[in-house]
Amino acid sequence: MFELDLRSRAPIYEQLVEKIKELIVNNVLKADEQLPAVRVLASELTVNPNTVQKAYRELEYRGYIYSLPGKGSFVKAVVPENNSARLQSLENDLGRIISEMIFLGRSAQQIDNLVQSCLAKSKGGTAND
Amino acid sequence: MIEVNGVSKSFAALQALHDVSLSVQKGSIYGLVGSNGAGKTTLLKILAGIYKPDAGEVMIDSRPVYENNSIKMRSVFIPDYLYCFPNHNVNDLAQFHARIYPQWSQERYEKLQPVFAIDGKRRIRTLSKGMQRQLAFWMGLSVQPEVMILDEPLDGLDPVMRQKVKSLVIHDVAEKDMSVIISSHNLRELEDICDHIGILHQGKILVQQDMDDLKADIHKIQLAFSGDIPPTLLTEIPVLHQERRGSVLILIVRGAYEEITRRLQAFQPAVMDILPLTLEEIFIYEMGDNGYEIKNLIS
Repeated sequence: MFELDLRSRAPIYEQLVEKIKELIVNNVLKADEQLPAVRVLASELTVNPNTVQKAYRELEYRGYIYSLPGKGSFVKAVVPENNSARLQSLENDLGRIISEMIFLGRSAQQIDNLVQSCLAKSKGGTAND
Repeated sequence: MIEVNGVSKSFAALQALHDVSLSVQKGSIYGLVGSNGAGKTTLLKILAGIYKPDAGEVMIDSRPVYENNSIKMRSVFIPDYLYCFPNHNVNDLAQFHARIYPQWSQERYEKLQPVFAIDGKRRIRTLSKGMQRQLAFWMGLSVQPEVMILDEPLDGLDPVMRQKVKSLVIHDVAEKDMSVIISSHNLRELEDICDHIGILHQGKILVQQDMDDLKADIHKIQLAFSGDIPPTLLTEIPVLHQERRGSVLILIVRGAYEEITRRLQAFQPAVMDILPLTLEEIFIYEMGDNGYEIKNLIS
């Protein structure tokens, strides 16, 4: 389903959470679609099953997936709400990227245009669903 | 479940293990790392029931391991140096295992044949080191153990085979709740497959923790300031290790990510990067704290 970056410093379970989240946010995994079973994913990626379990628990806690006892884990339809920490860190990242772009000579207008076109793309994606 | 309580072991004047305690839950993979001569192999041999501890107890499923056939029947030990009978071929070895282990599964053995692709009629002595190790895993997995004790198990295996063997072991952990304790110097590899880590040094356990907690709790921070480094910085933040490379300050700090970020932001650094540590780095810094450092070798 996806590959982990085994060279990355980020803990495996964090990488798992991020990858699955990315797939959900970009609509590759659709609402109510079943996620692979813990043991299947663990064998496939050769990572510890408890780590996969932990990642699933974290995703459930953050509201991206839900689990049915005895059936498995599924993608949740609703967008999770409690994201303030993640939003904060994304905003910090964005700030850093923008200051680097300015340093490298992009004008405020160019950045603004870029942001507008990104926004348009994201909107387009949701409107078609 | 494996439990080790206060185990000590000496060989003549050498104290190999000193009051070691650890536990491995069912369906968990425990990684044992340590300096050379730290006592890893001794500990694993005690777990396998080969050595008798001088003090303390070693239990698997709440029963002592030493001279206990019903436990040994369900556990497999793959040592760092393999021994094989002269003139045995692969099928003979399988038969030997089948006689000793009641849980031996001929079906599993045959099913795994294409994975390892070693001819059953080959004499073991003529196999290479890596192939002998593959054979050990093949036998070990066919026994369908509840406990696997692995001493430097992936040594000498090629990258494809490493991946296959890890995947097979993980499969058994997930499906059958097998417990695994594994020693290795390849920390990169342990990082992926273990959920708990114990660091052994001079016969004592230094650190023992859930892998993710271990990593979440310690950070590598790169800082640069446009002016001078604020003098109060190092007194206000508990630093495990610091290093200055030109104008960049590298700190190893223990604590929660948010807390550290908040406190460091107050000094208004021009550049601040917080990176998680790799297991290898954690190992090096923990060892450094205990006088086992990488000193500047050429001075």
